[in-house]
Amino acid sequence: MAGFFERIVHLDRRWIFLLVLVSVATPIVIPIGLPVTTTGPTRAAFEFIEALHEGDVVLISFDYGPSSAPENDPMAEAVMRQCALKKLRFVVCALYALGGLGLANNVVAKIEGEFPNLRDGVDYVNLGYKDGAAAVMRHMGEDIAGAFPTDVHGKPTSEIPLMKGVHDLRQVKLVFTAATGLIGEWWITQVHPQVGIPVIIGPTAVSAPKYYAYLNSGQLVGMLGGMKGAAEYESLLRARYPELAKFYTTTRAFTATKGMDGQTVLHTVILLLLLLGNVAYFRQRRASAKARA
Amino acid sequence: MNLEFGRVTLVILFAIVPIVGFFLGLRAPALRSRIPIFVGVFAGLIPILSMYVPKKFIAGPTGMSPRLDQWLIILAGFALLLGIVNVLQNNMRKISRREKGWPFSVVLLIGLFVTGGFGVYGGISGQGIGIAADGTPTPFQYVTNWFFQPLQSTIFSLLAFFMASAAFRAFRARNTEATILLVAAALIMMGRVPLLELLAVPIPSLQPAAASASQGLGKLTEWIMKTPNGAAQAGIIIGAALGAASMALRVILGIERGYLGLGKGE
Amino acid sequence: MHPPEIGVWIAAFLTIACLTFLYKDNPFFRFAESLFAGVSLGYYVGIVLNQTLLPNLFAPMRENFGQNWDLVVPGLLGVLLYMRYAPKIGWVSRYALAIYVTYYIGLDFTRRIHGEVLPQLARAILPLSSLDRATFFSLVYVLGVFSVLVYFFFSKEQGPITRRISRLGIWFLMISFGAAFGFTVMGRVALLIGRLNFLILDWIYPTLGI
Repeated sequence: MAGFFERIVHLDRRWIFLLVLVSVATPIVIPIGLPVTTTGPTRAAFEFIEALHEGDVVLISFDYGPSSAPENDPMAEAVMRQCALKKLRFVVCALYALGGLGLANNVVAKIEGEFPNLRDGVDYVNLGYKDGAAAVMRHMGEDIAGAFPTDVHGKPTSEIPLMKGVHDLRQVKLVFTAATGLIGEWWITQVHPQVGIPVIIGPTAVSAPKYYAYLNSGQLVGMLGGMKGAAEYESLLRARYPELAKFYTTTRAFTATKGMDGQTVLHTVILLLLLLGNVAYFRQRRASAKARA
Repeated sequence: MNLEFGRVTLVILFAIVPIVGFFLGLRAPALRSRIPIFVGVFAGLIPILSMYVPKKFIAGPTGMSPRLDQWLIILAGFALLLGIVNVLQNNMRKISRREKGWPFSVVLLIGLFVTGGFGVYGGISGQGIGIAADGTPTPFQYVTNWFFQPLQSTIFSLLAFFMASAAFRAFRARNTEATILLVAAALIMMGRVPLLELLAVPIPSLQPAAASASQGLGKLTEWIMKTPNGAAQAGIIIGAALGAASMALRVILGIERGYLGLGKGE
Repeated sequence: MHPPEIGVWIAAFLTIACLTFLYKDNPFFRFAESLFAGVSLGYYVGIVLNQTLLPNLFAPMRENFGQNWDLVVPGLLGVLLYMRYAPKIGWVSRYALAIYVTYYIGLDFTRRIHGEVLPQLARAILPLSSLDRATFFSLVYVLGVFSVLVYFFFSKEQGPITRRISRLGIWFLMISFGAAFGFTVMGRVALLIGRLNFLILDWIYPTLGI
């Protein structure tokens, strides 16, 4: 037994890599379909958007890149689908330099395909990417067209029907930021004090713990924490809008709900590894103490 | 010509003064650091004052602050590309001297010039760098979709493996604090995913109990995140923010000059 | 089921090339790594030119120079930033750097005070008008914030009382770090799930006709 634990502790890490790979790949090949329970911050975010009225403007900011796309893409898609169904008008922008624009373009294209009745420039607009995140946010609080003179296609913002009634962030009812780092936090700590606009954040799981402090202080109205948060939002969306089930049940499309199977299996594996490692450690410590005595 | 107060003042502060400073600096090397710091004081104070002084000349639509925001959006764009010069210099040197790994420098430069070239082409041709109206991606967007996004995603996904390995090898309950950390981590990892439901999959009779236990664990997890975690994060935020704010004042007032590559006394 | 297009094959090859690093460092990984670095920098060039410089600098000056003449200044300041690579007059870049850094630091100052310190302190100041579960948990919260702040007070040696309060602060921090570890596991695994999902469902299955 002692030999077993000794071997386990000194195991070549590549065996652990293989275990991780198999743990994550198996639920993709053999889906389990585990249930997703919702939490307070996600429900608060969902209900806030549900309470908005037809024609209200929502700003959706792509503040993440491909390094967190599996977590943030489902969030952005879910919120856009909700906006489309509730006939909320949405303004898309990207402030994350390393990949935000490409992802924004792809998600908007996807939603355009799912909701062909949406009219570019009337029901939604993609303003594209801009450098200098904090300066852009600050200027959007005064004049959105000054920060984004054109949309992503090069059309002057002043000629876009949707933007005619939206001069600055005070005419926007909500900012939803899908974020991987500081830029998402700046919507809360810089823009919210500046113009008082409600903010919902969809952070990656790595940065989600910090945002509970902002939830507690009332600076955030809701939060979708990582892939779990995205999966919760998908389940709330499906329950409220059954017609959306088709976007979440095809076998090919990646959704956060499907990703939770792999999360659960790997969490189980890592907990077992932690347990094994600590049992081996305590056995070793006891053996050393005995040897010294 | 638009001669609003805000624009003219900004031009005086951030163009005329630096030009004068440049000529003075040619004659007196000591001024090469002092005048930039003097200019920096204004650049730092304008956004702060505009928050507390609601006067037209600083915070109004024609004031200094909104126009300065627009200037800095442009300056940030130039700043983002600053590192490319360094990368070009290093890799071209590597190739010319045939240093170890020089073929990979060739790969890097090919990637840079091809992608950057598509970006420049998109700008010059008016095609843009996104998705055309008919749904076809521009060459830049194609490279983004099939090269950039997969590469970035995969390189970051390697962390999952290393994190699992590190957790197994290093995460030990050596003392009270480490034990608290380990227990909290275990509770969160169990509470955030339907782990008990997964364990009950082969035993259908246990599934209702697993579901209800999972709900309880989920509520405990949420309380941990909201209360003890929220409290600690608030403490960290307050402490870090106070430190950063005092450092910000030191930089704006020119006391801290390290960002300009200057040491103490320079 | 359509076979995957060439882009999918390229992405799959690059994904597997990166994953081979887990076995050991090898030329395929080095190739993918170098390509990633180059493509990332080229991506920056594309987005900065098309999304910032053209619409915010060149187009306004070209279409209405009278209204936007002052944009020459940030354009020149931007060019000035690159003077740091010129050995003799590198010091000139200090003007652009000073403006850039101090502006963002000025924004940071107001952000820290109004967005972080004041709201977080406000949350920690609570009336004790009713003695119920919510108030008890709020007291735990306030105790946590206070003890963590005491722990971070390094400028004076801690006495017997502050040492005990610091210890409590450390425990709160350990709970927070443990929670952060749990969430970090979720975050990192999510990326791997995304990639394997692509490899299996978007590449292998269509290739095999599944």
